[in-house]
Formats: sequence, C-alpha cells, structure tokens
Amino acid sequence: MKNYDLITPEGTKDLLFGECVVRRNIENTLLKLFKSRGYSEMITPGLEFFDVFNMKSRYFPQETLYKMTDSKGRLLVMRPDSTMPIARVVATRLKDAELPLKLCYNQTVYRNESALKGRSDETVQAGIELIGSEMKMADLEVISAAVDSLNAFGLEYSLELGHIGVFKALVDRLEADDTDKEYIRKLIENKNFPALNDFLDTFGNTGVTAALKKLPALFGGEEVFEKAEELIPDENVKRILDELREIYRDTAELCGEGGNITVDLGLVNKTDYYTGLIIKGYLKGHGEEVISGGRYDKLISDFGYDIPAVGFAVNVNAVSKVIERNGILPAELPPDVIVFAEDGCEVAAVKQARELREQGLIVENALFSDIESVREYAKEKKIGRVVVVGCEEGE
Amino acid sequence: MNKPIRIALTKGRLEKDTVGLLEKLGFDCTAVREKGRKLILPVPDANLEVVLAKANDVITYVEHGVCDMGVVGKDTIMEMKGKFFEMLDLGFGRCKFALAAKKGYDFYSGYGIKTIATKYPNVARSFFEKKGMDTDIIKIEGSVELAPILGLADGIVDIVETGTTLKENGLEVIEDVAPISARLIVNTVSLKMRQNEIEKLIKLIEENL
Repeated sequence: MKNYDLITPEGTKDLLFGECVVRRNIENTLLKLFKSRGYSEMITPGLEFFDVFNMKSRYFPQETLYKMTDSKGRLLVMRPDSTMPIARVVATRLKDAELPLKLCYNQTVYRNESALKGRSDETVQAGIELIGSEMKMADLEVISAAVDSLNAFGLEYSLELGHIGVFKALVDRLEADDTDKEYIRKLIENKNFPALNDFLDTFGNTGVTAALKKLPALFGGEEVFEKAEELIPDENVKRILDELREIYRDTAELCGEGGNITVDLGLVNKTDYYTGLIIKGYLKGHGEEVISGGRYDKLISDFGYDIPAVGFAVNVNAVSKVIERNGILPAELPPDVIVFAEDGCEVAAVKQARELREQGLIVENALFSDIESVREYAKEKKIGRVVVVGCEEGE
Repeated sequence: MNKPIRIALTKGRLEKDTVGLLEKLGFDCTAVREKGRKLILPVPDANLEVVLAKANDVITYVEHGVCDMGVVGKDTIMEMKGKFFEMLDLGFGRCKFALAAKKGYDFYSGYGIKTIATKYPNVARSFFEKKGMDTDIIKIEGSVELAPILGLADGIVDIVETGTTLKENGLEVIEDVAPISARLIVNTVSLKMRQNEIEKLIKLIEENL
C-alpha cells in the first residue's frame, strides 16, 4: 500500500515563517481597513449544504466543488465562496436587521482546480459586502474600499470598472436564444474577436451586432465613454454610461497618483450574478486579477429576501505571491530575550520571563541544561539578551 | 525603455510563420533566426522578447502572465482551454479537426458505443457530447491513424491538413469537427496594464495579415 503521509494534497501547501508573516500582515491590514469603515466581521462554516451553491444566480460547476455527505447522507461542499453563505445568513438571521448591513470576512475557500496547472485549491479571500443600498454612494463606498486595499499593499496597481448593463441592453435586442446569447457572452469575455465577428455576422448587419462586435474593444481610459456613446445610440445605455462615467471620475480622484484607473465595457463574466457595476483590481506582476467584485442585486433574493448588495473580495494568496516575488518579505522577528533557569530556580525563571513579556518583549524560556548551549543557541537565533535566573543575575 | 513585452511562440512552423510576420512588419529578427539553443531571444526594435515553447506551454505561460502574449494553434486552445484573451486569427497554420474512419465504414450506423482514438481527448469528447453520443475515448500519443487499422478504434479525431496521410492508410474523413489556424492570445492582466503597447502591436499585425 502506498502511503501519502509525508506530503500535502495537490493544490495545497504548508506556510512557514516569513510566508505566514506576509499572509497575516495582509489579512490584518485588510480586516483593520474594513473595520475602520464600519464593517463587522462574519465567519461562516467551512462546510455548507450543496444547495447553497446550486442557485440559478450563481453557477458553480460541480466538478470544481469538494463534496462529501453528512451523517444523514445529505450532500455537503467545502465552501467555494463566501458571498453565497453571507447571502444565506442575511436572508435568514439578519432578515430584520437595520439596513444597510456592512459585513466583512477573511476566510478560506476551496475549489477543485485542474491538476498540474500551478493553481491553489485553497485560497484565502478577504472582502466586504454592503447590503441594502442601491445608492451611487454605496458603489463609491465599495470602490473606495477597494482603492484603499490596493493602496495598502504598496505596489503598482490598476483598478478597472465595468457595467454589465451595457451588454445586457445590447444582447436583449438581439433575436437570439439563450444558448446563442451565452456563446456571445463567452466570446466577448475572452475578447475572441475572430469568432465573435463570424458568429454575429449570422445575425445580419445591424447597429446591435456592430456594437456587440466592438464591445470587447471598449476598454481603456475615459475616451472609452465617448466611443461607446457614439457606437451605441440607446437611451438606457446612455444612462448607464453617464452613471459609470461619474463613478469613473470620482474613482480617478480617489486613486490619485498611486494607481491607474481604467474601464472595460467588455467585462461580462458571471452575467447571471452581477446586475450593475463590476470591479476588478490588478497588481503589476500578477497574471490574474487580485480583486473581483461588483453589484449583485438579485443574489440574496434567491434565498427569499429581495435586497440589493455590492461588494468585492481580495485574493490574499495572490497578493502574498506578488509581495514575496517582489522580495518585500518581512523577516520573522527573533525573540528579544532568552531566560535560562539554574537548577532549582525554574519557577523564578518562568516568573521573570512573564514579567519581561509584560514589558512587551518577546521572551523564550531556555530548554538546555547548561548555559554554554543557551549562549550558542541565542547566537544562532540572533537573540540579543540572555538572562540567567538563579544565584547570580545575568547580563 | 519599458520592460520588453514577452511573446511565447509555438516552436516549429508557427514560430517560423510568426517570425516571417514580424519581419514583414519591419522588425529585425536576426537574433531569433540565429537562435542556436537559446530559448529567450530579443527583437529589440519592437521591444519584444520572443520565448520559444511547446504549444501547451505557450498557453500555460500566457495564462500565468509570465508571457504577455502568445502564438498558438486553435487545436491547442480547444484541447487545453484556459483563461486568456484570444484576440486575432493570424490566418496561418490552417488545417482542421476531423473525424475519420476506415474507407467505406458507416460510422454512425448501429447501436454499439463507438471507440475513438485521439491525441485530443477533450476535443473529441465535447464533439460527441454535443451530438449526445456516448463514446469510449482512448488517448493515443502519435500516429493515431494506426488505431482503426489495428482494430483498436472505430474512428479517430485528429488534425487533417491535406488528407494524404489518411488516404495512404485507407482512411477517409467522415465529418469536419472544427477549422484550425494560429491565434494571437494575450494575458488578461497584461492587456490592461500595457494596453497602449499591446494594442499598437496588434493593430500593426492586423494591418499586415
């Protein structure tokens, strides 16, 4: 029989020392930031019923879920996402709570990624959900939290905005069935111009098909809005664009010099989930987004409580990776003091160590029988001070 | 000068065609032509860095963002999938995926489950899934034409260029699965972080196709 007792499963890893420091620094920074804006932390179970994620508004392909059964044979999954569980809580225990609700979280999600692709099955996400407000101010609040999060990492970043409404308004005017619409969405998401052009040609040459063909190219700075307005003469779309442009300008002001702000009207991922604004955040040197979020006004209604919501999540693992790759690895601090107990003075030594800790020092109790070994150990571990407790006081 | 844009090319014919294209755009590709055993080569006047890799690896490198762009066949994209922008059909490397069987064999007849040999199990599976057909798919690493001749499979799903190999081995195309050509793919973050440079290059390529 082959044993796997010395390795961890594919897509998981042990974090040691500096890696832990980086990860906890990011988590603490983000949680502190969220809490300083009035968000309350929530912790949801690592195991949930499969049904929580089997909703029409958000499709989790079953092959990506870690599944098991409970003692009654019911299907459980390891949480693949935090927003759905939070929506569940909001629609049940928080149904009568004062609105808006401001919730934040920092927890691991699990997804069964394909093997040997260098992806992690276990990802820490820290994020916020602002529930119960449709105001533009709510969008701006969430965007500014995203900007502050990106700023906190001290790396070159880019924040991107989109709005699902533009795509929806266009595709609704196309005489196509749902399968075709989904295919068009996929092609726009992948900016697959050749296939998109070919496929849309089969729907004739109309203003709508021309606009859809151009949609994935509508990304960049503020000039995108003018191009879009010219291309899509539609009242609804114009209203959406004006709104987005206003938010874009506000965000640019918030970003200041630190980051780059862009817009992409071809952001059409998870259309069944997002209902308006879409937010993405990128860090230089990482090939995938590190922040993902937006407005999802219909999600909580799947759980029987019809209220709007907007939020985002930071991929903490991705941020750690970028920070580590940039070599800004903070070293784990060595202890300040090591306390050595002479024979028979162990209690006094433990008490002395406790006193030193109360002064805010990091203090180790020495686990050697002779002082020479302690000094050698202290030198090796770069501990500045050795305290000997016994007949004579140490240095 | 900014850090060069890294473009991964599929070694072999697509590499040669792409280098030809870059030269047509007026870039000096001497270093790539005289590459020796080197795998990363500069095209200084285009501020490009060419990375030579196997087709599947082109996708992996672009997906992870260690290469900003890549040139890879649609066949590899269909088999591997992945998250990237597929922005241009470069027009070269044209061929097709096709279902083939022994000459004269009525592939769709009978109730039995068909056995398909292929180097591209995902392409074959999704082709038959769309037809609602259950099939046994066997992965073969090379010369897939052997499988039906030896009696291992009822048919094959493979890349067909001229059809000569099929013909010489007594096989014929039953049905086309999908057309194939070289594609220019771009990492999703690179396109946003280096929009001006990448868009300029794509536009230039598009005008010269």
